[in-house]
Amino acid sequence: MKPISFVQRMFREYYMRDYSLSSSLLMIDRREFGFALFEGWMLRHKSFKHSDELKEFLQSSAPSDAYCSCAYYENPEADMDKKGWLGADLIFDIDADHVPTSCKKVHDTWVCGSCGFGGKGGVPEKCPVCGSEKFNVKTWPCEVCLNSARAETVKLLDMLMEDFGFSKSEVYVFFSGHRGYHVHVEGEAVKTLDAVARKEIVDYISGLGFDAVFHGVSRKSWRRTHVLSSPSLNNLGWSRRIAKGIYDFILNAEKEDLTSIGLKRNVVETILKNKDTILKSWKGSWTLGAVKGVGFETWRRIILSCAQQQSAKIDTVVTTDIHRLIRLADTLHGKTGLKKAEFPASAIDDFDPFKSAVAFKKGVVTVFVSDAPEFRLGDEVFGPYKERKVDLPTAAAVLLICKGRAEVVG
Amino acid sequence: MQLATTKFTKNDLAKYPFLKETTEYVKKLDLKIEDLANPEFAKILERAEERVEEAILYALVSRKLRNEDIETLSFPTATMLAVATENSFIKKRYALAEAKQAYNDMKLEPKEKILAIAQNFKWKLTVNNDAEIPYEFTLHFTDYLRNTTHLREKKWKLVNRLLSKGNVYLTRNEAARLLSEEVRKHIEKRLEVKELPKLPQKIMETAEKIKKLSVEKIGKAEMEGFPKTIVQTAFPPCIQALYQAFSSGRHLSHVGRFALTSFLINIGMPSEKVIELFKNFSDYNERMTRYQVEHIAGERGSRTRYIPPKCETLKTHGVCTSPDELCKILHHPLAYYRRKVKTAKTDFQN
Ligand code: SF4
Ligand SMILES: [Zn+2]
Ligand SMILES: [Zn+2]
Repeated sequence: MKPISFVQRMFREYYMRDYSLSSSLLMIDRREFGFALFEGWMLRHKSFKHSDELKEFLQSSAPSDAYCSCAYYENPEADMDKKGWLGADLIFDIDADHVPTSCKKVHDTWVCGSCGFGGKGGVPEKCPVCGSEKFNVKTWPCEVCLNSARAETVKLLDMLMEDFGFSKSEVYVFFSGHRGYHVHVEGEAVKTLDAVARKEIVDYISGLGFDAVFHGVSRKSWRRTHVLSSPSLNNLGWSRRIAKGIYDFILNAEKEDLTSIGLKRNVVETILKNKDTILKSWKGSWTLGAVKGVGFETWRRIILSCAQQQSAKIDTVVTTDIHRLIRLADTLHGKTGLKKAEFPASAIDDFDPFKSAVAFKKGVVTVFVSDAPEFRLGDEVFGPYKERKVDLPTAAAVLLICKGRAEVVG
Repeated sequence: MQLATTKFTKNDLAKYPFLKETTEYVKKLDLKIEDLANPEFAKILERAEERVEEAILYALVSRKLRNEDIETLSFPTATMLAVATENSFIKKRYALAEAKQAYNDMKLEPKEKILAIAQNFKWKLTVNNDAEIPYEFTLHFTDYLRNTTHLREKKWKLVNRLLSKGNVYLTRNEAARLLSEEVRKHIEKRLEVKELPKLPQKIMETAEKIKKLSVEKIGKAEMEGFPKTIVQTAFPPCIQALYQAFSSGRHLSHVGRFALTSFLINIGMPSEKVIELFKNFSDYNERMTRYQVEHIAGERGSRTRYIPPKCETLKTHGVCTSPDELCKILHHPLAYYRRKVKTAKTDFQN
């Protein structure tokens, strides 16, 4: 038996037995659907009248991946320029690929598509040997990476609810099924925002174009620097984030943190020596000018780096694309066999993707594993494996096969 | 949330003639287009003409509130005149001038009046009652974005604003400024008439007069936005569309702006002219515009002049939307232009 057909068989079984569209999909008949098939091609411009029709399609074709447009159209099946765009949900994608983690060096590898040069860790922009931009990448949905993506999602959700004022009923949060999280915002208010407006929202969330000068930090005529904003301002929006960011930054600052943002040695020493004074003055009277030798430009740098820390690392392209296809909720991810699973925003701290997104709960499969790191699914820990035959629960076997690290034996 | 209970006075209607209430009031007065040619309404037409002239000369429209009815009625008449000129420069200029004047007036109004005007445009604008926050208004971020994304100043960037619970905090001046953007768009829309309706002779004559004036004062090149050596009719469809979108105040994508700018530079438009063009039709930050244009022209930075992207690239970026017959055999917008100029020139000589 070929490994692919085994996975497809399992996918079909999932769609026959367990699948149901649990999360709401507003105006399903106005959306475009797209599918990647195990047979190797892509189907686009599909549409369905209702969720039963969609389900039937999933059962009969058992695709490796299923997508649906964030956009609503007059004619979802027409060619792109004749579809008649009516509006789109506001969507966000946070992927571990965009969040730097050190464990990528352990579990991710890349090989240049043209010269074969390879390395470990995050993919470079260009091949250092031949300059090509095409790579074959082997990644792993690791817990550490997913946790850092989760931390970014927490920051994003805070901005969406506190700053943008979206209510819980408008914001849907998902584990993507692979290495990240998706957040969908539905509602009349955002539906008709154009790409330019969405770009402004993206810039807000990722802190692009941020300037401390507009958040109350300014140079006073005497040599000291003062923050002019009043305490109540420090409770709102980006000003609140910066107020908190400055405190955390100074509190935890080590020598390297300060030098890495380009501060001179004597400035770094002054800050480290006067940590307490700075913190006290900041908390007590929101004043940054308490310590001589730490001036306007220094604070501007510190604040910019705080802004970077407080921003959420979203995929900027996804949000600004008002025609984007995004993975369909409750369908399986072709790279893992895990499902895109929704959970309430308030539960994000306790959400366990390696439990909630497991689709295959029964059976054992014998596989030959070429190479796999240690990993967890549900309450069980597996691996690491190297060149050996093992009996694994279906979900673990499917994960390894989908990741190209194992084959079915038998 | 308080409701704007302020009623507009007759004086307000004359001062803010773009309001829905004004339009309704005008309807009640029941003035017909044909009537405008009558001597008894001469004052209205006179004042309307003056409005458009002031727009052309000073980019402002004075307010003459002593005779409110004449002032009120002169606005729809002035828009008709602007439409009758069938000149996009005059139309833009008129909308801009009315908006600027409205800004000057609005920023002096009490909060309630600003709220009432905002309500006219269905804005979610409210008065900020939190004394510790030094702003007078809050505006829902969707209304905010709709009116700021083309403004280039850094202070308008959402990330540099105080945003909380869906609302952006604004000073009175800022609220008036953004409202005037809405006014400009609103008037521009009113001036967007695909087919000119049949208008009385008197109106058409006045429109001709206005056109002459603007050619005299502004210069034909500037009015069309192009020096003589440039043959606008030879623009390929993509560039034509970009130019039209841009000159009607719409925001261009990065690729679109680059394509338009580099195209104009490469067909021989001096960078000074290109910058002026940007200035006429939008409020792009002048410094940035200058920097970008001069960069593309090779007068800065790398010192190489950029050429527009080839058709293939423009296609992938959605800039090429309606290629024509000539496009089929050429692969670059500049090639298209050069080919077409040749044929256009021969037309001229006839
Ligand atoms: S084919 Fe080329 S020249 Fe013609 S419209 Fe498209 S991009 Fe412009
Ligand atoms: Zn290479
Ligand atoms: Zn990892």
